[in-house]
Amino acid sequence: MRHRHNGHIEPTMHTQNVLLNRTAELSPVERDVLERSISEIKVIPAGHILVRQGEEVKVSTLLVEGIMTRHVDTADGHRHLVTVHIPGDFVDLHGYALKRLDHDVGALTEVRVALFPHAAIERIQDSNVPLTKRLWFCTLLDAALHRQWIFRLASLTALQRVAHFICESNARSLAIGVSDSRRFAFPLTQADIGEVCSLSNVHVNRVLRQLREARICEVRSGHVEIFDLPRLVSTGLFKPDYLYLNRLTARRSAGEDWSSDD
Amino acid sequence: MTENRARLKPSAVPGQASAEGDLVVLDGPDGVAVTMTADAADLTADSLHQAASEARKFGPTASDTGAAEDLAPPG
Repeated sequence: MRHRHNGHIEPTMHTQNVLLNRTAELSPVERDVLERSISEIKVIPAGHILVRQGEEVKVSTLLVEGIMTRHVDTADGHRHLVTVHIPGDFVDLHGYALKRLDHDVGALTEVRVALFPHAAIERIQDSNVPLTKRLWFCTLLDAALHRQWIFRLASLTALQRVAHFICESNARSLAIGVSDSRRFAFPLTQADIGEVCSLSNVHVNRVLRQLREARICEVRSGHVEIFDLPRLVSTGLFKPDYLYLNRLTARRSAGEDWSSDD
Repeated sequence: MTENRARLKPSAVPGQASAEGDLVVLDGPDGVAVTMTADAADLTADSLHQAASEARKFGPTASDTGAAEDLAPPG
């Protein structure tokens, strides 16, 4: 893959999805600086734990391809998902300041990641205030997602939770150009959705059936097919403000101007 | 603020239970979403009935009078 940059076609950058279509985007120069700060590219198999809770960390990880999760393992052996990451997300940028994580970071699918030594991030911090603010923005986006995660679990019904999560996944996928608001890759099992939404498999199964039978959307074979985005948005009480998308992407993710005929 | 506090009041809207295969799914009120075995659902129903009977001894339903938010916690 290659991408266009200042009129030239260049090899695809590993950082190409970072803050793409958000209210604060990286400039080409900032993206170049970030790209040059990568020390290593790794491919990690599905199910592998990249960073364990409590371990000292000296690098931060950018997800380039695939899906990763942050999760907390409970004393009774259960895994509790607390974040789902898509390409362009730093999965543990907060580790730069915290030096250890209070959660695991794992690969839900096979993933490709870019590693940033903390020493390199420190050099950015010492020499590049605008890019430092962009990186700070990334961790603030994390916090916004967590706040919305709490709202989803505390206040929404099972149907609303799943619809909200699908809307959120669509919006984030739209931002990095891997959704057209009708279909996007969604390689989560019903058990994964259950962990995200704190629902049993049976409950998730029923809610997905309700969404399918109402011709709102269908989750099947690792993809979401959206039949009616405005109804999905209203069912999930979804408002994309907390994702800090640029105006056009926010409008598209909210189902404004959506037409089933497009 | 008043609107926000309304969500903290006791719910006057019942939850909706339904069978899903050999299990019972309870939706609502508010963010309640649990799946139980049939036995657990029976026991939960018994427990709810018993608690509702005890609560009615205090008179009209507190949520009907709008006084629920002013009730002191038990103790």
